Amino acid sequence: MLEAIADKVKRGERLSFDDGVTLFRHPDVVAVGQLANGVRERLHGDRTYFNRNMRIEVTNVCVASCLFCSFAKLEEHSPGAHTMSLADAWRELEVRMDDPPAEIHIVNGLHPGLPFSYYEELLSGFKRIKPDIHMKCFTAVEIHFFAQHYGMTHTEVLERLRRAGLDSLPGGGAEIFHPEVRTRISHDKATADEYLEVHRVAHKLGMRTNTTMLYGHIETFEHRVDHLLRIRALQDEAGGPFQAFIPLAFHPDGNGMRNMPAPTAIDALRTVAVSRLLLDNVPHVKAYWVSMTPEVAQIALRFGADDLDGTIVHETIYKAAGSRSPSGLSVEQLVRLVQEAGRMPVERDTFYNVVREYPRATLPESALKVRDRKANKHLEVLS
Amino acid sequence: MSELGEMLRVAAVGYLNARPLYEGLDRSPASSRVLLECASPREVARRVAEDEADIALMPVAAAATIGDLRLARGCAIGARGAVRSVVVVADRPIETLDELAVDLSSRTSVILARLVLRARNRGREPRLIGAEPHDAIASVGGARGALVIGDPALEIEGRFAHALDLGLAWWELTRLPFVFAAWCGRAGALSVDDERLLEAAKREGLDRREAIADAHAEQTGLPPASLRAYLREAIRYDLGDEERRGLQRFYDEAAHAGLLPRTTVRFFDDDRRAAAPTPALDTLLGRAAEGERLSAAEGERLLAQGSLFELGLAADAVRRRKHPNGVVTYIVDRNVNYTNVCTTSCRFCAFYRPLGHPESWVLSRGELAKKLQEVVDAGGVQILLQGGLHPELRIEWYEELFRWIKSEYKLGLHALSPEEILHIGNLEALDTRAVLERLRAAGLDSVPGGGAEILVDRVRRKIAKAKCTSEQWLGVMRVAHQMGLRSSATMMYGTVDTPRDRVAHLVKIRDLQDETSGFTAFFCWDFQHERGTKIEAGDHGTVLYLRQQAVARIMLDNVPHVGASWVTQGPEVGQVALRFGADDFGSVMFEENVVSSAGTTFCMNAEGMEQRIRAAGFKAARRNVRYDWLTSPS
Repeated sequence: MLEAIADKVKRGERLSFDDGVTLFRHPDVVAVGQLANGVRERLHGDRTYFNRNMRIEVTNVCVASCLFCSFAKLEEHSPGAHTMSLADAWRELEVRMDDPPAEIHIVNGLHPGLPFSYYEELLSGFKRIKPDIHMKCFTAVEIHFFAQHYGMTHTEVLERLRRAGLDSLPGGGAEIFHPEVRTRISHDKATADEYLEVHRVAHKLGMRTNTTMLYGHIETFEHRVDHLLRIRALQDEAGGPFQAFIPLAFHPDGNGMRNMPAPTAIDALRTVAVSRLLLDNVPHVKAYWVSMTPEVAQIALRFGADDLDGTIVHETIYKAAGSRSPSGLSVEQLVRLVQEAGRMPVERDTFYNVVREYPRATLPESALKVRDRKANKHLEVLS
Repeated sequence: MSELGEMLRVAAVGYLNARPLYEGLDRSPASSRVLLECASPREVARRVAEDEADIALMPVAAAATIGDLRLARGCAIGARGAVRSVVVVADRPIETLDELAVDLSSRTSVILARLVLRARNRGREPRLIGAEPHDAIASVGGARGALVIGDPALEIEGRFAHALDLGLAWWELTRLPFVFAAWCGRAGALSVDDERLLEAAKREGLDRREAIADAHAEQTGLPPASLRAYLREAIRYDLGDEERRGLQRFYDEAAHAGLLPRTTVRFFDDDRRAAAPTPALDTLLGRAAEGERLSAAEGERLLAQGSLFELGLAADAVRRRKHPNGVVTYIVDRNVNYTNVCTTSCRFCAFYRPLGHPESWVLSRGELAKKLQEVVDAGGVQILLQGGLHPELRIEWYEELFRWIKSEYKLGLHALSPEEILHIGNLEALDTRAVLERLRAAGLDSVPGGGAEILVDRVRRKIAKAKCTSEQWLGVMRVAHQMGLRSSATMMYGTVDTPRDRVAHLVKIRDLQDETSGFTAFFCWDFQHERGTKIEAGDHGTVLYLRQQAVARIMLDNVPHVGASWVTQGPEVGQVALRFGADDFGSVMFEENVVSSAGTTFCMNAEGMEQRIRAAGFKAARRNVRYDWLTSPS
């Protein structure tokens, strides 16, 4: 079973829906990971990307009531609801200007009461503070909400936000596309088609975007494969503007599916691996350490992932759902995570231009040699 | 380089038959070049394995276990026919024996005995019973024989109705000489001049054989004429092409029987002619997956060169061969620390406090009762009871505690690591066996394998100076196993240890397991470098953990179970480790003070364990300390 798929992978042949399901079902995750690792190394060798980014969630007020979400509050006055003033949001960057991030990643609830100008000013304010900062903001679900809420087309929304400073779209909000799942977990926000349409429009405007999948709740392996193939199809159609695919593990604490177990590390690795194998036209697969813990993310760098996302600094969405990952990682920690996996750390910008290359560990896959560590040689290059 | 650095560090087994080879090294001109020390066979092999000696006159089985060693051409301790000092004795024909008492640490002779007896008896061999040499002789009778080695063999010549000289038996079987020991070292350890020194010492020693025999006769009371003949006729000191064929035959048969790693005899001078061939890595892994034993050198290669997947798949294949049922076990028990007072001050430990420190404590009966009741209420089957080395708790305290626990609770008592047992022995001036006998009488069921850290003394001295030596740790386990107690084995790496140290650790556990079969399982983890510890972290990382555990599963071919240490690595990585050779998920977590005081805190209940085991593709079953299933796998 796996041999036939392995042959296809070796020949560079596209995998089918059934192949995807077979890979998800295969009992030996290590064998599947090895296949994905082969593809990853063919595409990127040992290079493993990360960036200096910072997450900001400016509001958790959200009109949608997704079952899996522990972050959103329905109304501004609900307990725990919080919307940042523009000044507070900008301060997040201002206080870090001695070691500033290269990218700001903003994801929010669908707030019913803010004027559209809030978002425009939000973007332009960050650009005022640091003109070369990359603004990767607003999921397709938010863009779609803006279009509906403020009576604009997707194109109009995106053009106005771009004029205000928007550079690219993050991939959140994809959840699971298949209606059997989506209508049950996210019935009152953008549909799969609407999510994909926003990305299609963004791609037509020349923007690059990421995309995601929230797995490990009520969906089947077939739903996952369906999801991945819809991404693959849009990527074919648009000629490759999706830069990265990010599998996101469902975390159950404090949300409408709190009685379900969280997907395990094996599932995380399997999903990374199968995504890498199916998404033959998406350049990067991320091991999002916030979702899977830094430890498992390190293993995922050998199961098909080539990107760790970034420093993040201050993540709140997964935190609310019970993730025990830290809120942020330093560049040093990211470099070490990559080196301990025996890979070569590459700091990138949002478009995967190289900012800086770091040496790979000297021993194959093992940690640094003791004497290098003692001499802090792996840190020297950072300072 | 210091003068000492330029000396050739030579270790030799100090037995009578070895003296003609090494004694001359203590005299000029060799003495200005050679630093000679004599020690037991195990010790001389250890020195080469841990790079404390350049060459050693060591038993050939030990050389195969280290692996990739070179032999000095021309010098060996061997026989061409009868050897007299390696014999199987019995009251009835050797072929009819059901049991054989042996000193299991004499591996070369034990393997020779097994190969010879199997060959003479259509594959059938007697059951081996470990015994000290004189106990072995005393136990001979009926269906039990003994393998007797060295001076005792010469002492009992003619005493038993039936005796099989293994040198002669080997000759009859193969028409080849047998080599018991030779000068061995790592490639490049001997120069041409050094080899000449060894040959010169041998020539001189052979000339002095009669004096050596007479001196030994004086010491032991054995007849001088018999000893002279022994050194002159029985023992052969040559190592040429014929001896090489004999040794190669021995290595091949031992490897075929799964008793030694596959080994090719290679002389130092072979390297001067051509580079040594190295088997491809996947060949090694394929052999390991088939159940072949790997040498320490091969283990080091796996650690250095094996990819995560190669190691993982091979370890998984080993796991599958040992446990084809696809079951992963776990235990409901609780780690209870009875005191944090400790006198060892290990630099990696954040848990201990000195006696009298305001934060020091000894658990009261009341606190303990509460914890034990919680274990019982949670369906637990045992407690793991460990503590620091408290200088004022006497053996009676432990005995009373154990009796109380056993009378009040139906719980297994997995208690006191070797370090604590040695500590009690020191406090009470009792030997290990006496301590263990008393504790077992009070209720001790099994011994946890903690405190092993890295069983290489160079490492131990740096991280835990006051702790027992590797030999002491293994010695406690040997005694415990001999008494029928079972134990686990552990390894904490990631301080100052090198890959070679970590493999040496595994091989020491494997060697002892060959003797005792007393280890149930192996667990490893990396040093948890956090607040309160005083040493820098060495090799680390999750990927390394998986590789290290996989190599352990591959190397420890005689240890039944390997457990994933989710307590240190986290439930996520612990689960992944199940696909890298582990067949056990350890224990549910009530509390664990030592690791958590260094900053690692994870919790997992039985449901969480079973969910992760199943999500990794296995069936889950609860177990007891002997790894019997307490629930049917599901």
